[in-house]
Amino acid sequence: MSKNLSAVVAHIAILLAVFIVCGLLSSVAAATDAGAAKFTGELEENATLRVLENDTAIKQGYLAELIAAFNEEYKDYHITVQDANMDQYTDLENDGPYGYGPDVLYQANDRIMRYPDGKHILPLPAEEFDCYDKISEKGWQAYRRTVAGQEYTFGIPVNVQGPLLYYRKDLLPENWESEWDDDGDGIPDMVEYWTDMYRFSKEIKEGGGGKKFGYMRSFLEPYFSVGYLYSYGGYTFGKGNTDPSDIGHSKGNAELGANIIRQLATVMDQRCIDDSVTTGAYAALASGEFFATITTPDVYTMFVDEMKAKGYTEDFIAENLVTTYIPKLPASGNLEDESQGFIECNMMGGVQGYAISSYTKYPNAALAFVKFATSYEMIKRRNELLGIVPARGDVADEVGGLSEVINNNLEAGNITVMPSIKENAQIWTPLQTLFQDLAKDAFRTGAEIKYATLDSMKEALQRVDQQIYDSIFTLQ
Amino acid sequence: MEDRKENVARKLGRGFRATLEKIKNFFLSLPARIKQKLAGAKEILTQGNGKVAASMVVMGLGQLLYRQWAKGILYLLAQLAFLAYFILKGAGDLIGFFTLGTHESNAWYGVEGDNSVIMMLMGILAIIALIFYFVIYLANVKDAYKIQCAVDTMKSPASFKKELSSLLGKNFHKTALALPIIGVCVFSVLPIIFMILIAFTNYGGTVVPPALVDWVGFENFTKILTLGQFAPTFFRIFGWNILWAVLSTFINYFAGLGLALLLNRKCVKGKTFWRLFPILAYAVPGFITLIAFKFMFSYGGPINQMITDAGGTAVGFLDIDAKWTARFIGLGVNAWLNIPSGMLLATGILSNVNTDLYEAARVDGASPWKQFVRITLPYVLFATMPVLISQFIANFNNFGIFYFLRGGLYMDGYFLASDTDLLINWLYNMSIDNNYYSIGAAISIIIFAVTSVISLAVYVLSPSYKQEETYQ
Amino acid sequence: MKRRKIRPKRLFGAAITYLIILAVCFVFLFPILWLVLASFSKTGSIYSFRGFFPTEYSFDSFVKLFTDTEMYNYPRWFLNTLFIALMSSLFGTTLTILTAYCMSRFRFKSRKALMKTTLILGMFPSFMTMTAVYILMTQFNLINQRWGLILIYSAGAPMGYLTQKGFFDTISISIDEAARIDGATNFQIFMRITLPLAAPMIVYTLLSSFVWPWSDFILPKLLLKNKDLYTVAVGLMALDNTEFSRFAAGSVFIAVPIVIFYFALSKFLINGLSAGAVKQ
Repeated sequence: MSKNLSAVVAHIAILLAVFIVCGLLSSVAAATDAGAAKFTGELEENATLRVLENDTAIKQGYLAELIAAFNEEYKDYHITVQDANMDQYTDLENDGPYGYGPDVLYQANDRIMRYPDGKHILPLPAEEFDCYDKISEKGWQAYRRTVAGQEYTFGIPVNVQGPLLYYRKDLLPENWESEWDDDGDGIPDMVEYWTDMYRFSKEIKEGGGGKKFGYMRSFLEPYFSVGYLYSYGGYTFGKGNTDPSDIGHSKGNAELGANIIRQLATVMDQRCIDDSVTTGAYAALASGEFFATITTPDVYTMFVDEMKAKGYTEDFIAENLVTTYIPKLPASGNLEDESQGFIECNMMGGVQGYAISSYTKYPNAALAFVKFATSYEMIKRRNELLGIVPARGDVADEVGGLSEVINNNLEAGNITVMPSIKENAQIWTPLQTLFQDLAKDAFRTGAEIKYATLDSMKEALQRVDQQIYDSIFTLQ
Repeated sequence: MEDRKENVARKLGRGFRATLEKIKNFFLSLPARIKQKLAGAKEILTQGNGKVAASMVVMGLGQLLYRQWAKGILYLLAQLAFLAYFILKGAGDLIGFFTLGTHESNAWYGVEGDNSVIMMLMGILAIIALIFYFVIYLANVKDAYKIQCAVDTMKSPASFKKELSSLLGKNFHKTALALPIIGVCVFSVLPIIFMILIAFTNYGGTVVPPALVDWVGFENFTKILTLGQFAPTFFRIFGWNILWAVLSTFINYFAGLGLALLLNRKCVKGKTFWRLFPILAYAVPGFITLIAFKFMFSYGGPINQMITDAGGTAVGFLDIDAKWTARFIGLGVNAWLNIPSGMLLATGILSNVNTDLYEAARVDGASPWKQFVRITLPYVLFATMPVLISQFIANFNNFGIFYFLRGGLYMDGYFLASDTDLLINWLYNMSIDNNYYSIGAAISIIIFAVTSVISLAVYVLSPSYKQEETYQ
Repeated sequence: MKRRKIRPKRLFGAAITYLIILAVCFVFLFPILWLVLASFSKTGSIYSFRGFFPTEYSFDSFVKLFTDTEMYNYPRWFLNTLFIALMSSLFGTTLTILTAYCMSRFRFKSRKALMKTTLILGMFPSFMTMTAVYILMTQFNLINQRWGLILIYSAGAPMGYLTQKGFFDTISISIDEAARIDGATNFQIFMRITLPLAAPMIVYTLLSSFVWPWSDFILPKLLLKNKDLYTVAVGLMALDNTEFSRFAAGSVFIAVPIVIFYFALSKFLINGLSAGAVKQ
């Protein structure tokens, strides 16, 4: 008995010894510190950089051009750049640490700025860039973050995204110069003031028999709808969109913005409730079913393609497919009341740019690439090929037109760059539900109507703020 | 009808009681069983000779001393392999399981620290390996003792060759099941254990790698149970979820069976052709059909276009107010997606019905309806009862339907959910959309506890579990 | 006399049957037909046609699908999917049938416990375990590997063995016993007697374990980062939403192999080898 028992004990003792010794050894040896500063200025030889670009840039051939130009320029260093060949929304947080992420990535500010907290992207020496003083402060702000007590810049702005109004000049009433230009500035009032757009759309809808509409746009996407709340004093996060504990969609007179949405829905049809018209807008504007819609500048070619398919000539399109900035809102918050004058319509926007992954083996080559890709020539080429609004002031000034308008509106604060903090991911579903509800309310009848008064809208906004707060903090 | 309801209720009640009884019996019989095991261990400890003791110190040593070369070498190799694993990796992993990391990594400076999530997973693997090790160790000791007994009673111990050949004969199941079980353990059980353990950590929110995760005990559970909004939403969704699972399982099952029977009728010519239509529905990936259905029922979709063209007003089939319409559409779309596979299965099973029975019934002059109720239905029910249960589970956890048809809504009266969401959608909203993995894990444990008891009770009660041999 | 009496009744029954079948087929065809029509639509957007039918038809989206591969390499995705689904189907079916057979024919100690455990395991919400699966695969170096997916699909397949077990439970064991008396091992019985009998079930299993990887998009999305390795499901989801007709064309074409698969195997599925004689 004792002999056998001691045999078992001996076995267990050996096992225990193995565990204690090896366990202790492994926990001591865990951390390795390379300790090297990343940007030494010395280009790595034979580097291969994987660059993640957005789909449009790949489709329109811009990325191929950029890569060819860079590879030519840096062939002496044997640095080659290639398409990362990944999904444009790739999450660096998931893939980077395991070595499956790209070296350089081009994404919107709300995505890129999720990465600094885990130090997944490198702080960039922004002042070394030749675009440093060409990009507005608002553009840089979208990429600044304080980490461990020090403020860093994590991305180089390339493209400002802000919405535009697209309309068909040939669908204006014949007599617009006498009837629809009260301020006499030679621009139709309906593309300058929401009140006139509302009146005009109402007329078209009443005469159209359900086949013709004036302004049309789905309210489902918060990106395009939340601006109405902003215009009357609402905001997403406090302290310039940096304080997630202060959620303000119900602050100020934001309920007036909610009222505008509900009123605008009445001159459309139910398709503004869900996303039915989002991708259909191109064809509908081309066929003349809609007079105007709001979307981003980079889809201009989509409208042109659809109009060409309908048999319009290029000259006709260039003449009659017009883009302009968003109309002004009535200060009264009622589209039937112009008595209190007008205020600027605020809209949500975004800044897209480049960032460098912390997991890259060639940080200096990556930096050289980003510098190259944000140079004057490349941004200009990007604008020509993709129709983007450059964040670089010098390019924007030169191409003029809408690029200038959008940059000026960004500067003036009429375009609110979407929050760059992680918590921003939690605002979409509650807002989307609200906008759907408001739009639907325009088509409810009798006792079903939920938002007959401004107070009820204010309450709805407060509920939304509470929901966002819940999804950020309650379970934390 | 009332009668039947009562019957079902009574049966379910009996199922619960049976399950409880089993659990009780398990615990009651535990002391006796432990005693038995201890007696076995004591026997080996007292009776085992020096060679058995050698096996106790080093696996396989006793077998080698008894000149059982093949087995001895195998055990010895196992001993060495495990030791090598523990020394090189296992021991560190096991410690890491408890600490979940001590050094944070910093990608800016290339500091490679600890990744808590990997450590937890590898820790679980190390624990599984350790358990496995003890199982083999015990088998080794028992084997050595068995040889000793055989030698003592002058019998020659079973040859290695003979033991091997039994793996294709008497012990065929051991051979056949080894691979599936290992696969399921690694890719299903291990992740589930991982998820259960996550519920006891603070993983999620801002605490994701490279930040270090910590054990927090039952904190997540107390957080959920003390949260006022949790219970009302839970029960509201739970009620709908049960209703959904029962209805959709019932509809899909009987519609599939009905379709199979219909197409099996003698008067139907060109069966292969007719069956093609449901197969088409089966052939297009589900998420694509769901996107198509969502569009068809949208305000700009073909159905509403036809309505408005005919002069009606558009119907919000799936919009924010469409609670019950959306639920019914969900049921219909789910049926559309699942009937084809149900039909395929039923067709396969029907082809195996013993035709003699029908022959006999026809001779007796039984009507077709009677033949169906007396022969076909019991047979098909018996063969597919487990399917019914797994379909119930699949429907209960049907994530795709409402995610694609009506995702992205938070309703009033619900905590971060909509009125068509099932528990699994709610779980998704909270854990993936809002990043609270540990809370999500805790909730899924609660949901799991409730649902598994129900389905286990039904399963244990079903004839295909109780009388497996009926048709054999 | 007698025959005449029965005929009208039978005819009526057949007419009703056909009527129902036609209705059912219509219900199943309608959404698919719409998808097919959309794939032949000339413009990219679905909203460009009023009602059910597109305004103009063309073959362009199919041509584009297979020639315009710069950005969306559909042929590549298609081959990837085919490879993954075929392999997973073969391995998965083998494992499932083996498991079901053992659970049906053998009585061993932990059998009932195993049955209950697998039932319960299926109740866990699968997306909660995705993090673990992803990390596991990074440790095994199986990200961006088609074999990684095949491994997971095949390993997961036996979890659904209950259907097949239910089927084996209905096959009489008297033949097994007869064979055993003749000295056949369990392995031989399984290969020579049980498998041929289970043909319809094997076909069903092959088909269903083919369809799963064929239409899944969560796992490939998680494990395949490189666009050249995408499966059709992931690729189609990445398609720009203005490319609807191409999306529709891709969705229609993806159904083709399953339909072929069905035609090739339907003979076994329906007739099996089960004409009364072999069973008691």
